Amino acid sequence: MMENPWFSVGKPEHRIDAVAKAAGAVRYTADYSVPGILHAKLATSTQAHAKIKSIDVTESWKVPGVRAIITGKIFPFHIGPILADRPPLAFEKVRYYGEPLAIVVADHEYQAKRAADLIKVEYEPLQVVNSVREAFKTDAPLIHENSGQYMKIISNVYPVQGTNIGSHIKIRKGDFIKAWENCEYKVKETYSFNLSDHAAIEPRCVRVEINPTGKVVVHSTTQSPFTIKKVLNQFFNIDVGNIIVHVPMIGGAFGGKGTVQLEPLAYLASKAVGGKMVKLEYDREEDLITAPGHIGLEATIALGTNKSGKLMAGQYTYLIDSGAYTDQAAGITRAAAIDCTGPYNIANVWCDSYCMYTNHPYATSFRGYAHPELTFAVERTMDQLAKIIHMDPVELRTINAIKPGNSSPTRTTLNASNIGDVSKCIERAKELINWNEGARKETAEGMIRAKGISTFWKTSTTATNAQSGAILKFEPDGSVNLSCAAIEIGQGTKTILAQMVAERLKMDINKVHVTMEVNTQTDPHQWRTVASSTTFLAGRAVMNAADDAIAQLKRTASIALQCSMEDLEIGGGRVYLKPSPEYGVKIEDIALGYKFPNGHAVEGQVVGHGRYIQRHLTPMDKDTGFGKPGPWWSVGTQAIEVEWNPKDCTYKILKALTVLDGGKIINPMTAVQQMRGGMYLGLSFASHEGFQFGTDGTVLNPQLRTYQLMRFGDQPADYIVDFIETPAADGPYGARGIGEYGVIGMAGALANALSRAAQIELNHLPLLPEQIWNVRKEFKNDSV
Amino acid sequence: MIPFDFEYYRPESLTEAVQTYETLISQSKTVLYYSGGTEFLTFSRVNQLYADAIIDLKGIPECNVLELQEDQLVIGSAVSLNNITESNLYPLLGQTVKKIADHTSRNKISIGGNLHSRLIYREAVLPLLVADATVKLTGNDGETVHPLKDLFNQELKINPGQFIVQINISKDYTTLPFVSLKKTKISKVGYPVVSIAALVKERQIRAALSGVCPYPFRSSEIESVLNNSSLTKEEKIEKAGTLLPSPIIEDIQASRDYREFVFKNTLLETLEALEAAQA
Repeated sequence: MMENPWFSVGKPEHRIDAVAKAAGAVRYTADYSVPGILHAKLATSTQAHAKIKSIDVTESWKVPGVRAIITGKIFPFHIGPILADRPPLAFEKVRYYGEPLAIVVADHEYQAKRAADLIKVEYEPLQVVNSVREAFKTDAPLIHENSGQYMKIISNVYPVQGTNIGSHIKIRKGDFIKAWENCEYKVKETYSFNLSDHAAIEPRCVRVEINPTGKVVVHSTTQSPFTIKKVLNQFFNIDVGNIIVHVPMIGGAFGGKGTVQLEPLAYLASKAVGGKMVKLEYDREEDLITAPGHIGLEATIALGTNKSGKLMAGQYTYLIDSGAYTDQAAGITRAAAIDCTGPYNIANVWCDSYCMYTNHPYATSFRGYAHPELTFAVERTMDQLAKIIHMDPVELRTINAIKPGNSSPTRTTLNASNIGDVSKCIERAKELINWNEGARKETAEGMIRAKGISTFWKTSTTATNAQSGAILKFEPDGSVNLSCAAIEIGQGTKTILAQMVAERLKMDINKVHVTMEVNTQTDPHQWRTVASSTTFLAGRAVMNAADDAIAQLKRTASIALQCSMEDLEIGGGRVYLKPSPEYGVKIEDIALGYKFPNGHAVEGQVVGHGRYIQRHLTPMDKDTGFGKPGPWWSVGTQAIEVEWNPKDCTYKILKALTVLDGGKIINPMTAVQQMRGGMYLGLSFASHEGFQFGTDGTVLNPQLRTYQLMRFGDQPADYIVDFIETPAADGPYGARGIGEYGVIGMAGALANALSRAAQIELNHLPLLPEQIWNVRKEFKNDSV
Repeated sequence: MIPFDFEYYRPESLTEAVQTYETLISQSKTVLYYSGGTEFLTFSRVNQLYADAIIDLKGIPECNVLELQEDQLVIGSAVSLNNITESNLYPLLGQTVKKIADHTSRNKISIGGNLHSRLIYREAVLPLLVADATVKLTGNDGETVHPLKDLFNQELKINPGQFIVQINISKDYTTLPFVSLKKTKISKVGYPVVSIAALVKERQIRAALSGVCPYPFRSSEIESVLNNSSLTKEEKIEKAGTLLPSPIIEDIQASRDYREFVFKNTLLETLEALEAAQA
């Protein structure tokens, strides 16, 4: 076999978007303006739960340049991705602090802002539901009085009328009750954290116009352009074919740009000014609280083992704080149930995952989609269980690690291809963090150095018909253009896809031109760029398109070379005879068809197309959770080493480690970077972030002045990343997804490290020194 | 986006600045002097600040001085915090202002602006209070010089229309042993839970604090406790805690109890750091 000098998969190729970004030459959505564009600004709620008695816009109309003012009356209907429960503009009542109430459209942004500030709203305050625990009480005030009437957009959502339960997902596997009675060792603990935010560097922005022929043209900072089309069609009755969505590169998303909030608002605004182009750009404060954020959680986990530490029974109660509307939190509730156990083999599982309405800003997907959250709770429980059994926590994880032949909580049978190697990840992580050297020690300066470990898994719960498509269009110089609706959000997806094209066509990656911007009119359909699914879905589509292109190239070449297609091979920019590689034709001579010396021409441009759709996925059974909601699991182990100061409870993160089994790694450099970025995000969430709520449900830190994030300089001194590459049989080149995984175990690992350092149990995030100090104080009081 | 129009003036001399102010005031306008502009931008965009006109002091040569003039260190009010740190002319001041905001903001934030901050911290005042700084003001009554302690009571109290031209510090203070400590909720970048600037002059500790009470302060009562050699460190700290000029604050940065804990720790750290200098 001839060696392929053009290989690209597995090579640390440079990111194809790096130069433009480093040069500051990328134009993002908000960077564009056109003559005549109008600007929209929102008036938002200053109360968390209140009836709207009146909205007075008299003063706003006096501001020069104002063209339109609209309120919730203009569209008194509910929309949503899973359960349609949210009016785009509040009507009758407001349900969270920062909720959109009215839109002002004006010639200039400052005019719209001033006019929006002058809108006077009269409220009748209602009792505020300020936590999931309050929301769950039987006599709690109702946030949605008629949730049972809401339209279901997907099947697996179960609102309970007359309660604040937006959805309830159950897992019933084996016989938990009986197994629990027979357990030798038992632990039951509760964990919690507040809602927080994605805080991507680029705030959300959209431009919408309705042109005179009725086409609705949207430019958006979105991970889901085809979902925007779906939403505008479903709820605004616009033909799907008449909606065009453009997406340039995105300045970070982390799940926060996966849902649809601004587009309907800007559409209504444009409609109010005769279809003129309207730009709606969120200020940071709106991006933090008006736009949907990251869920809060209260989780209670009970685990039981036999005498030797083998897990026999697990019970999981997840109260997910979805805020005022379910949005993607309803899907997160489902995802939390699907993978509720973490990567452990447990025969008897009982899980109740509730999506709870509260009067908090609402939540949507956040990188990891339920997994960083449930993993925090599961991994803290594992450490506390290990303590009770007097077993090394790494050993406890190793003996319970899930394996091929076991089944998931939804009873999907696992095999070597659909799940990575959990045990190997644990083993490698243990080695790299020098676990055997000791997990806790005191330094000469009186500091405590401690380690924490966390094991995790995640399957991606896409739509059962989630799909992707790709088009490869050849240029007369033999290079190729790739069009695919995967969105570049900084994760490097365009580079990965280019590598697959180069590998398949055995050509130089510099000859693969990837269209960075997405246009729904010209790019094939793609479900969304979420759920760590793009390498898998778009990758398969790209390979399929490459095969189609190869067949076309061979066909044209077979005519040119007067041979059969079977005799031909492709590589190095040529199509050549397998037995006589020196005899062939350059791709540039057949890219637009082959022209014979006499002028006659055949075939024409090579345009390869490919597609891929999820196979054999099913929804879950309502009563037991039985089903196959995801195609595969990527698994991993993470660890943290901290230096904790017992004097003042402050700490430094010395090391953050990820060992991931994501199947074949297409680009080791971008994959390492993905893990580092994920760890940073996870650590920021675990140590710094969270909204603080007043007793009236207002957000006390709605600005980056007060909303704490991990800053440059706070990151771990040392990042360690390693991969176990157990191939996925049906993944492109054996790849599974890796995008979200760096985040997942961080909160668990950090909390385990700090709990070990301070010798207390830290079960609440964020892990602020004050929190550690408080828990230590209570612990000392208890033990006196 | 700032939701209102405003006029912008950039005078090139002290007199021009004062005249501009007087003219605008006579037109019944709301006028602000500013230099770095970070607070004007961030507060006015969220409707917490308004001005019809702003007067930029960066063009005035006197406000940009940063040098030793004989036995005095002279710092113009428009000098940026980063420039002060990089000059290393008064290390305690340089170290203290280096902990304010983040690097990019400190390229803009001026010392005059920080002394006038609308936030309660104003940490740049701490090293100036312990060094008996004087302040040169100008206004329609002309230039006047005042000890900083006479002007600074919780905040800088000067007449409308006046602004700080320069801050003077006797050179002797710039070489004394010092400590600058700042404790935040968690990040390096953040408002202080406790911030302290202290130096030792003639074996006596001088200390000023921010973050603990709703304003920065230097307290002679607390200093005399810290300098009372008949007390142990622990006794000094206990006693100092009872002499705060107002109750310890509680806000989203920290609870009262935790702040008290951090205050005591930080004071202990300060005493330990200055122990050698006092001996």
